[in-house]
Amino acid sequence: MRYVNRLRILVLIAFGMSAQAVSATTLQFHAWGGNAQVNKYLQWVADEVRNQHDITLNHVKLADTSDAVARVLAEKAAGNHSQGAVDLIWINGENFAAMQRHNLLLKNWVGKLPNFALTNPSNNPAMVTDFGLPTQGQEAPWGRAAMVFYYNQQHVTEPPQNLNQLMQFAKQHPGRFSYPLPSDYLGISFLKYALLVLNKDNTAPLYAPVTATRFDETSAPLWAFLDQLHPLMWRQGSHMVRQASQLQQLMSASEVLLAFSFTAAEIPGAVTRYDLPERTRTYAMQEGSLGNVHFVGISYNTAHPEAAKQVVNFLLSPKAQAKKQQQAVWGDETVLDVAMLSAETQRLFAVEDLHPAALPPGAIYRLLPEPHASWTDALREAWFVRYGARW
Amino acid sequence: MLQFHRVSHLVRWLFIGVLCLPVLAGAIGVLLPALGYFPALGESTFSLAVFQRLWTVDHIAHMAWMSFFTGFIATAVATLSALCLLSAFYHQAWLHTIQRLLSPLLVLPHAAAAIALLFILSPSGWLARVASLFSQTVLPPQWSIPFDNSGITIIFALALKELPFIFLMALSVLSQPQMHTRITAYLKNAQAMGYAPVTAFLKCALPQLYPHLRLPVLAVLAYATANVEIPLILGSNNPPTLAVAVLQWFNHIELSMRFQASAAAVVQLMVTVVALITWRLVEYSAGRLLRHSMINTQRAQGARRVTLAAWLILVLFTFFAVTMVVSTLVWSFATFWPFPAVLPDGITLLHWQTALPALAEPVKNTLMLGAMVSVLAVIVALLALEAEVSVLPKLGWQRQRLEHSLLQLTLYLPLMVPGVAFLFGLVWFQQRFFSGGIFPHVMLSHLVYVMPYVYISLALPYRRLDPRYVKLAYSLGKSPGQVFWRVKMPLLFGPVLVALGLGMAISFSQYLPTLLSGGGRFATVTTEAVAVASGSSQRLSAVYVIVQAFMPIIVFALAWWLPGRLFNPAAHPRGQQSGVF
Repeated sequence: MRYVNRLRILVLIAFGMSAQAVSATTLQFHAWGGNAQVNKYLQWVADEVRNQHDITLNHVKLADTSDAVARVLAEKAAGNHSQGAVDLIWINGENFAAMQRHNLLLKNWVGKLPNFALTNPSNNPAMVTDFGLPTQGQEAPWGRAAMVFYYNQQHVTEPPQNLNQLMQFAKQHPGRFSYPLPSDYLGISFLKYALLVLNKDNTAPLYAPVTATRFDETSAPLWAFLDQLHPLMWRQGSHMVRQASQLQQLMSASEVLLAFSFTAAEIPGAVTRYDLPERTRTYAMQEGSLGNVHFVGISYNTAHPEAAKQVVNFLLSPKAQAKKQQQAVWGDETVLDVAMLSAETQRLFAVEDLHPAALPPGAIYRLLPEPHASWTDALREAWFVRYGARW
Repeated sequence: MLQFHRVSHLVRWLFIGVLCLPVLAGAIGVLLPALGYFPALGESTFSLAVFQRLWTVDHIAHMAWMSFFTGFIATAVATLSALCLLSAFYHQAWLHTIQRLLSPLLVLPHAAAAIALLFILSPSGWLARVASLFSQTVLPPQWSIPFDNSGITIIFALALKELPFIFLMALSVLSQPQMHTRITAYLKNAQAMGYAPVTAFLKCALPQLYPHLRLPVLAVLAYATANVEIPLILGSNNPPTLAVAVLQWFNHIELSMRFQASAAAVVQLMVTVVALITWRLVEYSAGRLLRHSMINTQRAQGARRVTLAAWLILVLFTFFAVTMVVSTLVWSFATFWPFPAVLPDGITLLHWQTALPALAEPVKNTLMLGAMVSVLAVIVALLALEAEVSVLPKLGWQRQRLEHSLLQLTLYLPLMVPGVAFLFGLVWFQQRFFSGGIFPHVMLSHLVYVMPYVYISLALPYRRLDPRYVKLAYSLGKSPGQVFWRVKMPLLFGPVLVALGLGMAISFSQYLPTLLSGGGRFATVTTEAVAVASGSSQRLSAVYVIVQAFMPIIVFALAWWLPGRLFNPAAHPRGQQSGVF
């Protein structure tokens, strides 16, 4: 009988453990989980909303945001319209476009958030435009980013200051530069940056919906540039990394000598965590830096829309935004119009001691806004046709 | 029929159902979109258009070939190496040292092994750092491994990972009492006739052993052709293997890619089937070719070459096993570690401090899920085995044969049908008909993978139980239930614990089933590790790999240690030996 008892206890323990998982309102926040700083910040957010609103916020760490988009679609396909697994989702660009196209997002809620007014949307169209697409109140701005470059002073003294010099750099150091595949946001951003710069005398077509003739004319210099660049890249461009984070790993190992990022703050952060070389330095290209905003959406089939809105409103609060902007925390630029805040609240956003690897204040010469969203697909498809589909 | 027997017979059918139904439902869920039927995306007619479009995808044939080629060669290398090791060292006293050396790699999840291998093989890895001591370079070399188009890195990693499995399977076959007695007798006779020990093993033991090894080897082959983690982490993406492409397409932002993904999943299934058939053909022809050499009376044939090869394999394997462990450990504590330096500038606890708090929840989830799945699988497997021993013999022989082969078939179904070919369909089914719960879905998809292994590992000791104990208990007037609980269970305590440990280890290592069935809401150590590996910190990845490796090792250590503590070790002879299964 001893054995039976033992088994019974085991079963009891096992089943007992699953019963305690239920609590007040639990929200699932689906967000890319590849960055320790972001994850830590979201843990802080979870603690705050538990204390303030009695909401349990669970960060579902995605390797790829499209997994969550696919998930919501699968639920819609299966007729699950009110008990979705995804409550909140961190998105922008194409994931947003896809979710909007398939009606997977909750509509017309952002304008009603008290803290949304602090972003000053009427004077700041970037807060309601996602890669040229109007957000239509389906996602709330969360942070801002601009493309910056970084290098290791140990190996490089004069990094390229424009696209032309980048080509010279690749010739001097063959095999020591690469960019992620265009299926990755940083990879497609590199193509857009090059496209904007190579057409700097006539960027207007890039801000209108793409057409075949516009595309052919505008993209021709880009292909000429890439045809020349690819053989000079890491692995001669035959293998390219799938994700931005892998580019940083290559940089960390000095396999490449120049890299770029959309979150300037992650670079000093990575240096403090030893994930980038000690003498890493960050700078911006003189021709301008591609910039965009990232957002938080609520899925159409969430069971807790009100709680989800409370969380987003908290994400937009000066407290949460200031915390997020701190270099030591995440360093993601705030979406709030700091000038609109009270003097006391503004102090939350003051710059602390700057890390040597951090982007110096005012280093960005000018911002190049994202082209119209329709260019993204066109560019990517053309790239894959030209250089082979890589998955 | 007695109550207890009826229950156990019912559970045996339940066992078959739990294994078949998810796989079949999932396969249907993939087949429908492949045939153009997916109402959610506005398609509700059947056609072959999706397949026609799939043929026009660039490099599709090459992707299928890469899946076939890497899986086939890796399985061949692993199988030949394992047999080589066995032939050369079976007669050696330190065979068990090799067994102990290989066991830890068996329980290491594929994703963890791939990440650890990256630390060695990449141009900034240890090999390159040591090489640079002689070449005085300050930048990493530009060699084309990993991510090579030839697939060599994938083959190497798969072979390294599957070698221990095949080796330990073979050892477990050889340790079955009948087999052991027969082989020992053959080997003695052969040696008495002047055959070298290695040659004797090659000519006498191998032909006896291989038929028993065939199913596990085929399972390895099926797994290797459709594996996702290893080619994803170590393989090229220009083009990738088909299995990776299937995963990428299922997760593609363009939702209509699901049609292509489904069709490709069907093709992946066919690739696996073709690989299995090819294997059988190659095996058959090899058998015919080698038949002559068995009776050509050369008494030392191949002995030197096989011994040499075995030593080479052993040295290579040990080298990689040790460097993988050590370099992962070093990375997890490393501060700055610029390229040519063989060791990091300093050590820090930072990465552990970052990872451990974040790991608390996943570890809890992993343990809870693993324990529940494993306990359930062991209970079901034990009752199914009880039915086999007590109920089946009472049925007509035709019925007996039917039930027996049905179970054998279903047992290998989840091991033969690639996960990418049915898991997406299964998730669709679960969503369609049982939306809401997460835990039951994850549990079910884990059970599909855990139950076969638990059953296989328990089957031998269960059938091997000395029937005299059972007869004696019956003669003392005990009921079948009492005999089961109070005679068989204590006798089987060791193997049961080992099966529990094995079940947990397999549950721990599941990536795709957890991710897909849980909708990402159920974080385990393995899903977190793959997510972190996609991030930017090698050091953090290293911590996750260590935690991943550590969990099953602790579980197994407990399974080995507990029986000796709780019961008199003499009460369960050989129990632990079958543990490596």
